[in-house]
Amino acid sequence: MNDLRHATTEELLALRDGEGGAWTRAHLETCQACAGELWRLEQARARLRALPAFAPPRDRWPEVALMARRERRQRRLRGIVAIATAAALAGITFAALRPASGGDPAAQQAALAREIERSQALEQQLRALDPDQQALTAEAATAAAELENRLAAVDAQLNMPDAWTGNQERVTDLWAQRAGLLSALVDVHTTRVAAAGL
Amino acid sequence: MHHRIVTVMADTIPLGEAKSLVARARAGDMSALEHMYRAYEGSVYSLARRLTRTAEEAEDVLQETFLEVCRSLGSWRGDGSLWGWVRTIAASKALMRYRREKLRETDELKDEMDAAPRSTDVPLRLDLESALQRLSERSRAVVWLHDVEGYTHEEIAELMGMTTSFSKSQLARAHQRLRAWLGEEAWT
Repeated sequence: MNDLRHATTEELLALRDGEGGAWTRAHLETCQACAGELWRLEQARARLRALPAFAPPRDRWPEVALMARRERRQRRLRGIVAIATAAALAGITFAALRPASGGDPAAQQAALAREIERSQALEQQLRALDPDQQALTAEAATAAAELENRLAAVDAQLNMPDAWTGNQERVTDLWAQRAGLLSALVDVHTTRVAAAGL
Repeated sequence: MHHRIVTVMADTIPLGEAKSLVARARAGDMSALEHMYRAYEGSVYSLARRLTRTAEEAEDVLQETFLEVCRSLGSWRGDGSLWGWVRTIAASKALMRYRREKLRETDELKDEMDAAPRSTDVPLRLDLESALQRLSERSRAVVWLHDVEGYTHEEIAELMGMTTSFSKSQLARAHQRLRAWLGEEAWT
């Protein structure tokens, strides 16, 4: 023994884990008791690692899936607050729209009304499909997320009348884009991803 | 009564497949998330069982872990093992319960009782499983995370909100107790 004391458990554990100090290493060369203790600590670790694993007593996946879907829906709702309803956006559109200076005001008004109606009908169709309750393939889910982002961008523009007041063609075009995106979303949720045009 | 199986605590999903699964799960594909759940549920539950007091708590940790995985998919960078990432979430969830339920005070009292002079430690000749269960929750967590899962003392200190030196001393004390409860020949 090269010292008046034995190595502590902490020192031996450090040595076992490859971090031991010079004193401990030197001490172990001459102290059988500490060498035996180190071997015991190595065996202890090996036996701990050999303990059998536990298996879950029951399947928790249904609860996990349900809660994950619910949380995802809540996140999506928070994330797409910019996606307004067609009715709300139509109110903004008509309140802000000035009579057009050129072209056929009645025809332009009718074209705008058609796109708004189309938007409303597609929204109802989408709601009836209850998209949050549908399991989608990875491709479909990616397509739906992309369409929702684009829809949010269009709605954001419709929500800013200053950007299009006096330009009825522009606002009609935004409404047409909106209807097109909703139509594609309906397609995605009826599993016709290819028809979504992405 | 819980069924017990022997499993290898290793990543069962190759990195390439893991990246694809995470991308699909991020896009909302529940079948990808289920695939991850099925691959890791045993390992997560088993780890949670070692770090908590009851099977029910371990089941809750299993559920909380995968909900957190679902929320945090974007934070896995794909440059390390997916199991390593999931395992850290599971350990963190299990230890969070420990902190939340204020088991520290109880554990500290238990630690003091366990730390009685060696002369009063009558060898109980327990099997390793029973001896492990007899450790305080904190000591058991340190032993398990370090000796079995391979976490460093620095990582354990961060997970458990303690110092590195405290983690080292906890490990040493836990080994002394295990040795006393098992009897010397029990290790051989």
